[in-house]
Amino acid sequence: MNIRDNPQLCDKLAAEYVLGTLRGGARRRFERYLRDDVVLQRLTAEWQERLMPMAEFTGAQTPRAQVWRAIERRLGLGQAQKRVQQRAHAAWQFWRTESLTFWRSLSLVSLAAALLMVGVLRSTLVEAPQVDLVATLIDDKARTALLLTADSERRVFTARLVENAPVAADKSLQLWAVPKEGAPRSLGVIPPEGAIELPLTGSAIGDDIATLAVSLEPRGGSPGAGGPTGPILYKGNWVRML
Amino acid sequence: MPDTLHPDPDQLATWLQATSRGDAAAFRALYDAISPKLFGYALRILGKRELAEEALQDGFVAIWNGAAGYQRHLAAPMTWMTTIVRNKSLDLLRRCAHDLDIDGPVFDAEIMAALQDPRATPIDALLISHDAKALALCMSLLEGAHRQVVGLAFFHDLSHSEVAQQMAIPIGTVKTWIRRSLERLKTCLVKGERA
Repeated sequence: MNIRDNPQLCDKLAAEYVLGTLRGGARRRFERYLRDDVVLQRLTAEWQERLMPMAEFTGAQTPRAQVWRAIERRLGLGQAQKRVQQRAHAAWQFWRTESLTFWRSLSLVSLAAALLMVGVLRSTLVEAPQVDLVATLIDDKARTALLLTADSERRVFTARLVENAPVAADKSLQLWAVPKEGAPRSLGVIPPEGAIELPLTGSAIGDDIATLAVSLEPRGGSPGAGGPTGPILYKGNWVRML
Repeated sequence: MPDTLHPDPDQLATWLQATSRGDAAAFRALYDAISPKLFGYALRILGKRELAEEALQDGFVAIWNGAAGYQRHLAAPMTWMTTIVRNKSLDLLRRCAHDLDIDGPVFDAEIMAALQDPRATPIDALLISHDAKALALCMSLLEGAHRQVVGLAFFHDLSHSEVAQQMAIPIGTVKTWIRRSLERLKTCLVKGERA
């Protein structure tokens, strides 16, 4: 059943979802659709705006002071300063602070771009490699900047700048795998000619990778051992081709 | 006139944004502004002060942790935070359902009576916001039994069949009443916006 083709049904389901009478399998299915369907998200938000004010019909009651103290304790707000420091992640941890929606839209854009690029590659290369993993890294305007194509059989991947993004003579672009925890791992430095073949190791395709990123570094790559030192220019993620 | 009971959504959004940056003072201001309303609501769902306090705690911890993901274009701040506290309350309700003895029908009679004629007095006495008044007015235009079905489902997390059991009416009737009531509320609220 595809509920998306039936706007009236969508609206009815969203209403009963918010009211709470959508139950069991129907509720789980709805939540699954809701994750990436912007129309359903909007309909649900509209019903929340309509029905949630019912909460106020009960009248206000001031909670005891100990409730706030418990919240403070659970969040460690007494040590407010420490908290602020914890939240100020290093610049390369940009993906921690960006909204989920951004990453969702990013992955969609990346997927579409990756499919397109693979089509181009497959049709133009005479000796097409067995590409089974692709990543398109995009800039802040969602333009594809770097294309990674991996052949997991041969355990190599190619990084190729899509358009000749000008890099100053004293700078280099460096490719990183940013894990969910810990410091980014360097995968390699993109040479001035714009393409390089690199080994496809666990560092490059591990399950712990939150994102791939390219930073602008001094010529030859980041001088620091702990990760990028320059700004992040491009980011994206692997997409497995079928 | 400054409206301390119904803080301006822009102010709430500003505090939320500061909260997302780890600003504990803004978070406290947010708590002071809205915790009484949210606590009153949690208390109605859960019936016991200790449980409602736990739900409120869980809710505010989730608000702190989720503030960075809040999207203004999708929900008003109050709607977003109410939904969080509602979900935390319902989680607790489900976990503790066997220990709780919630006096559903009595509670509903109380609130629902107030809704029968919101212009009479009780709604004003509840000190509710403009949105809630608009909704109360639209609910007062529903038939009494329909209103009660909607209220039972919303406040007590009852399914169609549980509502049917509670009110001793067939489940098909419950489904029809809920569907019609939701349609009427939608139409009525649109009209209210235009008025």
